[in-house]
Amino acid sequence: MIKARNVSLVYRDGTVALDDVNLDLHAGGLYYVIGPSGSGKTSLMKLLIGIEFPTTGFLEVMGQPMRKRETAKIRKLRRDIGPVFQEFKLISGRTAIENVIMGMRFLDIPMNKAKELAKNALVRVGLEHKAFTLVDRLSYGEAQRVAIARAVARRPALILADEPTGNLDHDNAVKIFRLLESFKDRNTTVLITTHATHLIGGCNADALLCVEKGKISIERRGGRT
Amino acid sequence: MKNIGYFLREAGKIIRYNSVSNIFSFLGTGLILFLLGLVVAVWGISSQLVVLLQQEAEISAYFDKLPENPEDIINSIKSIDGVWNVSYVGAEEARSRMENILGDESHILDLFEKNPFEPYLEIRIHLDKIDPVLQSIRNIKGIDYVRDNREVLEQIKGISRALEILGYLVIAAVSITTLVIISHMIRQGIYHNREQIKTLRLLGAPDRFIGFPFVLVGFLLTFGGGLLASALITVLINRGYAQLGGAMPFIPLPPKDRLLLGIVTLLLSGSAALGILGSLFGLSSINKENQG
Repeated sequence: MIKARNVSLVYRDGTVALDDVNLDLHAGGLYYVIGPSGSGKTSLMKLLIGIEFPTTGFLEVMGQPMRKRETAKIRKLRRDIGPVFQEFKLISGRTAIENVIMGMRFLDIPMNKAKELAKNALVRVGLEHKAFTLVDRLSYGEAQRVAIARAVARRPALILADEPTGNLDHDNAVKIFRLLESFKDRNTTVLITTHATHLIGGCNADALLCVEKGKISIERRGGRT
Repeated sequence: MKNIGYFLREAGKIIRYNSVSNIFSFLGTGLILFLLGLVVAVWGISSQLVVLLQQEAEISAYFDKLPENPEDIINSIKSIDGVWNVSYVGAEEARSRMENILGDESHILDLFEKNPFEPYLEIRIHLDKIDPVLQSIRNIKGIDYVRDNREVLEQIKGISRALEILGYLVIAAVSITTLVIISHMIRQGIYHNREQIKTLRLLGAPDRFIGFPFVLVGFLLTFGGGLLASALITVLINRGYAQLGGAMPFIPLPPKDRLLLGIVTLLLSGSAALGILGSLFGLSSINKENQG
């Protein structure tokens, strides 16, 4: 699913975001990427979705080498990824269900089916009653759940959630984690970054990827890494 | 096709978002296209005029002495390539024509004791063959002098050429202006929607999906302008024909319906093409500004 060999990411200003990272993450796994703020978690997510590219080393996501010259193929690859962004990136002026459907409009999914998938996803995140509410009027936690619904509705092979609990309180943060964990199955890999390590105590992750100053060490949990 | 409703809604949203600028763009494009229509109309009418005048291009040939049988000379001239009609004008007819031209002043002809006009041949030719025709006629035995009206004909040709060049210049100016207006509007739309565009790209949306509503906006704005221009030019040509036809019936106007159909077709197809092209120019900025 994800293969990294000696991957480093150095920004233009010389900041070393990731340093000699080696990973082998398998399909259907649940992985938490943990570490303090500024350790390189978001940089890893940016590499995995193709916003940034490795300065050195080789990175492959679902068989697609992540190279700058392959941006067209990477754009296609993103259709198999369900991203949950730290700042949600919902489209304002649209309802919750419109935002969820938006992630499927350009896929080969008939509109009736897309509506059904969107509705089911909103039910799954507990927001069916807000389906026709403008996202601008949702609370922070609700907006986060719409973002999750958008990511999962199209049944991606890989869910990438970057700090999905952001500023949520303890209970809501745990709920979001459990919700994201629930999407893990044989076909879907879930990767969640968080600096709130105290919230993932009871998680059933396959592994924790501990990021510290750009280096990643792997702490196995489920023995599948 | 499943997204056509979405694309139309998006286009409407983009237009509404910057409604004042878009209304002015629509009006501006409409008026620019109206000017184009106007120039094309004048061009069409003048071309018709030139063609008719060229068809009417006429030279006069005078005899060295009154021939006993002018038919021989007439037949010789008719056989020249580039001549399409020859008619004999007798001295009395020549005088009568001059009286018609002089109108109230025709009494001055009475000052002459006898008819001052001589018979001559009125020869209609194809203007592009004037030189060889003149040479051939001058070589015919019995012809003394040929008056060719070349200056007038050359002037008409010159005016026609100038109008043609002006037409091309106006087409170029209208095209460039419309492209700049529309691409600018599209860039503004892209700028206002940059966050949405970034999100769609991160979700894997292809450029054609992201860009189509913008192309639609460009098309709708300029095509709307084309419709406005067509309506204005239709009104103008209808009124113009009504007035010119009454006041100056001697001006050879082309058939109104044919002229209108040509101009409206040009305006609508041109506006649609310019709208799409302008949008595509505007969209090129999406690739520069929103990579990711």
